[in-house]
Amino acid sequence: MRFTPTELTTDELALQTEVRAFLADELPPGSHEPGLGMSARHDKPFSKKMAERGWVGMALPKEWGGSDKKAVDRFIVVEEMLRWGAPVGYHWVADRQTGNIINKFGTDEQRERFLPPICRGELGFSIGMSEPDSGSDLASVSTRAERDDGGWIVNGTKIWTSNAHTNDWFICLLRTTPLEDGSNKREGLSQVLIDLHNTDGLELSPIPFLNGEHHFNEVSFTDVFVPDENVVGQAGMGWNQNTTEMAYERGGPDRWLSPFSTVEQLLREIQRGEMAGTALHDRVTELFGELTARWWAMRNLSLSVSRLIDAGEAPSIESSLVKEMGTRFEIEVIEKLVELVDQELTLESESLFQRLLAQCVLTGPGNTIRGGTIEILRSVAAKGLQGLPA
Amino acid sequence: MTVDALITDTASRLLAEVCTHSTIQQAEAQGEAPEIWQAFAETGFPWISLPEEAGGSGGTLLDALEVLRLVGYYAAPIPAAETGVLAGWLLASAGLELPGGIATVAPGSTSDTIQISDSGHVSGTAHMVPWGRSAERLVLLGEGVVVSVPATAAIISQASSLAGEPRDTMTFHGVQADVASAPDGVDAEALRFRGALSRVALMAGAIDKMSRLTVSYTNEREQFGRPVSRFQAVQQHLVWASQDAALTRMAAESAGRQANRGDARFEIASAKLVANQAATRATKACHQAHGAMGMTQEYELHHSSRRLWTWRSEYGGVREWSSWVGQAAAAQGADGLYPLITAGSAAV
Ligand SMILES: Cc1cc2nc3c(=O)[nH]c(=O)nc-3n(C[C@H](O)[C@H](O)[C@H](O)COP(=O)(O)OP(=O)(O)OC[C@H]3O[C@@H](n4cnc5c(N)ncnc54)[C@H](O)[C@@H]3O)c2cc1C
Repeated sequence: MRFTPTELTTDELALQTEVRAFLADELPPGSHEPGLGMSARHDKPFSKKMAERGWVGMALPKEWGGSDKKAVDRFIVVEEMLRWGAPVGYHWVADRQTGNIINKFGTDEQRERFLPPICRGELGFSIGMSEPDSGSDLASVSTRAERDDGGWIVNGTKIWTSNAHTNDWFICLLRTTPLEDGSNKREGLSQVLIDLHNTDGLELSPIPFLNGEHHFNEVSFTDVFVPDENVVGQAGMGWNQNTTEMAYERGGPDRWLSPFSTVEQLLREIQRGEMAGTALHDRVTELFGELTARWWAMRNLSLSVSRLIDAGEAPSIESSLVKEMGTRFEIEVIEKLVELVDQELTLESESLFQRLLAQCVLTGPGNTIRGGTIEILRSVAAKGLQGLPA
Repeated sequence: MTVDALITDTASRLLAEVCTHSTIQQAEAQGEAPEIWQAFAETGFPWISLPEEAGGSGGTLLDALEVLRLVGYYAAPIPAAETGVLAGWLLASAGLELPGGIATVAPGSTSDTIQISDSGHVSGTAHMVPWGRSAERLVLLGEGVVVSVPATAAIISQASSLAGEPRDTMTFHGVQADVASAPDGVDAEALRFRGALSRVALMAGAIDKMSRLTVSYTNEREQFGRPVSRFQAVQQHLVWASQDAALTRMAAESAGRQANRGDARFEIASAKLVANQAATRATKACHQAHGAMGMTQEYELHHSSRRLWTWRSEYGGVREWSSWVGQAAAAQGADGLYPLITAGSAAV
């Protein structure tokens, strides 16, 4: 394990400047309700505007509509979007992981079909991994696909599918070879692409979030036909592909920036004198100091992971360490803010800071669960530290 | 700008050889480690980053910090930071002579009473001076001047850090010193930051060592018929400690790279703050994972943990640096907060 410090090059700094100017222009502070990192709103026109700049699917090949950029370039765009609270929800998953998976494991026909619309910001993806009986133990998924002429017949249920109602397709992990006694659970799984809104036998139903919001869905399949051309990569190799997919979603700025817009807004309101009872007294200043320093160090770690990816390495221990630490830090930030302001919170508050903090409190517990819990990440990282296979 | 790999290799090999559990233990009992210092000094390591014209070993600040990281890693019981990047830096910047032996600095405690007369005579007391008893020269900052006073002329009251390393009280009664004016940028504030940077480098090494030691100990120690590292509760300690090791090393190296380029106050302040907090968490996790063994003198964990408890409070604790960084953040304002995080001192 080695994280090597790195600085941005002149070109990378120019990209950062360009992204900042774009945001200042499109979403001047005060003109929009910032989101909490990757949980930000879905806004198709905004996704399209970003895509016009080449900032969606930017690491994908030009041939398929991407920009052939590096992981570090994507890091720069993404961190600015997230810290601004920009509405990146619609293209988020497709940009972060699905596009990469289709590019890496898919056929040319699939690349041609899916990558250009992803890069235009016109195709939103969800993730179909979890099931009612399979959460952390993901290899135990039991949604099954049986062989049929030219494809597969799928039955089963996916759950917690974020934004399936607003996205277009999802990539789904299911079992194509039945489990027999003694067989390895990690074999016989496949990844398939399924249209969420135009598929016979697919039923979508909301699972209201604890605050009543519609975020989660249940997606159930009754004899859903999936043609062979929608199977990504090799049937039966889904576990390995899925593990690769998870590596894309770990260790990036989305794992430590969620409460940033809230902290920034606190500083704004204090400095404008809008925070009753909270001036920049010692305790507040010290808290800003602590958070700023931690963000600085955390960002350097996370950025170094992107550099490693660009150097052709697969920094899987490094990225699980960053994700586990980053999401715990997010929760720590929220707790410290709550202790600091010591006020009743409401989503209807006139103060943007208080609305954001209320939202942080309500959604925060999910940060250390989504995409694999911190307990599971610790097991993965600990095995890596001891040089054991994951 | 990177560190010469040869420096890392040579320093690691040398320190691994001379800093064994028993030699470190012995240094603590004796209050100094002349043999270790001798071996270290022969290579010129203490004077890296000081110009050769001034009697230094040449090389960059980054090289010197890499050596300090290794000094921290191997818990070398020697005044490596003091002699070179602190006292040596003050002397060389003011054009004063570098001694052939140990030089140390007065870190500047609020209870210090040092006075320098117009004729260059030093009187008064300096506290918590690292290795005061072994030093040839003590270097002090006066009003616009750097002062080098013969340390052997001091009346010394011995004290030690939590790690059992010398932190002496030195009292002078009108001792003639060498005095030279301090160039711009060499003042108490600069010394504070440089001291903090030296501690961060040492801490990066020590947390790294401690977290590796904990991985290997918990792999060997068996309970309930298997290595304790198989228990998830123990794995949590391993993961958290190695994160703190990575975080501190990243902070130290990022701050070092910036310091090598120019103003690095934001990076150093942030790095010391991050390191101080990481040291607290990581020592807790590593001790817990070791059980009673970690509480003994016979086992080596304390060489790292006690040094970390020392260094986290030297040259500024959590309050001092969080308040400094917080003021920098407030000065940037809300719109400038993220640019400060990405650009650091360049944004200030
Ligand atoms: C906001 C949010 C969005 C999500 N979006 C999606 C999505 O879009 N698509 C999707 O497929 N899934 C999604 N999920 C589901 C998520 O992937 C799962 O919640 C997660 O993998 C954990 O599974 P579980 O909830 O069933 O918890 P369980 O696996 O039942 O775990 C319960 C507790 O036991 C612990 N535990 C379980 N096994 C172990 C073990 N071996 N060692 C130690 N501790 C263990 C867990 O860490 C946890 O603390 C989302 C979840 C959240 C919170």
